[in-house]
Amino acid sequence: MNLSWPILGALVALVVGLAIALWRGRREASRLRRALEAKSADLEHLQTSFSRFAPEEVVERIIAGGISTHAERKEVTALFADLVGFTALSESVEPLVLVRILNGYFERMSRAIADHRGHVSTFIGDGILALFGALQPNPWQGDDAVHAALAMRRELAAYNGELEQEGLPVLSIGVGLHRGVGVAGLVGSRELMQFAFVGRIVNLAARVQDLTRRYEVDILLTSAVQEQLDPRFELRELPATPVPGVAEPVAIFAAEGFQG
Amino acid sequence: MPAMQDIEWLDPLIEPRRSRELERFAKQRVGFVPPEIGCFAACPWIGRASIELAVARRVHIDHDLADLVALVVSQESSCRFCYATARLLLRILGMPEARIRTLERDLETAQLDARTRLALDFARRLSRSNPLPSHADKRPLLEAGYGEAAVKELAFVASENVFHNRVATLAAMPPQRGERLGRSWLLGLARPLMARRIRALRKKGQTEWLGDDLKTGPYTYLIVALDGLPGARILRGILDQAWASPQLSRRAKALIFAVIARGLGCPQSECEAFRLLEGEGLDNDEADEILAHLGARGLDPIEARILRYARETIWYQPALVQRQGRALREHLSPAQFFEVVGIASLANMLCRLAIVLDPP
Repeated sequence: MNLSWPILGALVALVVGLAIALWRGRREASRLRRALEAKSADLEHLQTSFSRFAPEEVVERIIAGGISTHAERKEVTALFADLVGFTALSESVEPLVLVRILNGYFERMSRAIADHRGHVSTFIGDGILALFGALQPNPWQGDDAVHAALAMRRELAAYNGELEQEGLPVLSIGVGLHRGVGVAGLVGSRELMQFAFVGRIVNLAARVQDLTRRYEVDILLTSAVQEQLDPRFELRELPATPVPGVAEPVAIFAAEGFQG
Repeated sequence: MPAMQDIEWLDPLIEPRRSRELERFAKQRVGFVPPEIGCFAACPWIGRASIELAVARRVHIDHDLADLVALVVSQESSCRFCYATARLLLRILGMPEARIRTLERDLETAQLDARTRLALDFARRLSRSNPLPSHADKRPLLEAGYGEAAVKELAFVASENVFHNRVATLAAMPPQRGERLGRSWLLGLARPLMARRIRALRKKGQTEWLGDDLKTGPYTYLIVALDGLPGARILRGILDQAWASPQLSRRAKALIFAVIARGLGCPQSECEAFRLLEGEGLDNDEADEILAHLGARGLDPIEARILRYARETIWYQPALVQRQGRALREHLSPAQFFEVVGIASLANMLCRLAIVLDPP
């Protein structure tokens, strides 16, 4: 009898101890599960957001194995848009007003691009580089890019109406388009990386965009785009023009509209 | 992968109405009438196809894996309706909520065996098709011990889920009922009975060889490649019904097949669509001109709208494609619109099935 009380006491203490340990363990497991779910939700949001800037495969490769310099050849259509007279504009309005004007401009232009299956690769100062066919294969990329450029023209006209009503200066743009093969992948340094498309086509789209001032038009495209374009686009052929870095003069066309 | 609760989803684009014929069909095949059956009344072949595919027998892979494929593909396709259904099914069959959440979060950490993980990864790639998987993508499965026939069946299961996902997303079928039921305490009570009923339906299938009479009609090359699987006969039936349905012209249907094949980069499906178009009096040059820009001067304005919409069913965001569907619906009868949805869904499935063909 004398011996069994201590044993019983020890057993009760053991059971209570185990129950407490179990309860703590479950509480800890539950806390960790909640934390994991929260982190997982964050990761999902991050992944979804990141998918707007890089193909899903690239995002998944980064998540699974970290940053890799894997790149692949792709045919894309590059659209380069720039504000005409931006320097003069930036000197004529307050910086805060300028930022507001620019944000409204970028917002509308980005929407026009996204509505036509393009994605904005980067903003360079007041310039926009958009790519068609870089995130997903797109056999209709040329048509999409020119439709996007025409939509940008319409969006800008509407935006200028709003700016005029506020007594602010109106904007005008030049858009250059070129199509070709380049390399898509992650480019940058350890501190800053981005999914980018590297190739001569981006430079040529930017150079062609420069020519919009010279010919006083807003949308210019090269023959590489024109050759595969829907014949219902209304184009005006301009003289082949030399551009820096290209041996032969470049055949260019002004986009005027679409007979749809 | 998108968080499903964040996915914008519009009101249904199809008005449900009673169809006794479909109800009888469902009762005969699954033993009960699914609540959504009325959505299919406008174009019954789509309803029959959905039921036939859902109860298809498996020969080489088990139903548990097929259920996981359904979950993964619906998540990949951002289909809230199918996702809620796949989740509900797993819950009914006894999978704990915590386990489902783990699977949703990350297959890598979901404590799956290597073979299952490989199979699910393959299904996900196939459903995404950016780009279409090649024969090289089958190699890890073959090396892991799956036979050729099992890989074909796995591809069939993933592709049939692409069909379900497209139909449900394009028609904006309401996911709320499935989502609500998954959270309901009633599920706990009814679960054992429902699980028993579902398991009873899921008998293991046997290899079935097709007779020559079934080796004819649209996409026969795929049917022949699937020969041996019960799915081959089902797909033959679906294709024949879709092709015979009177809501859209055969030319419009073949053009939808062609647009989706070109968008996904599937030469076999595009070639077959061209063959079908030729049978409808459109030669290859004319078809190519239409496809090059999704419009040619000879194209009917309604056909042009349908083709532009068909293209959007390849890479889509649910709410965006549902808005586009709403706009298209204004120009078509409900039955015609739903048939566009059905044909586009079928075309998306067929391109993915190209993986079952022998390497060129």
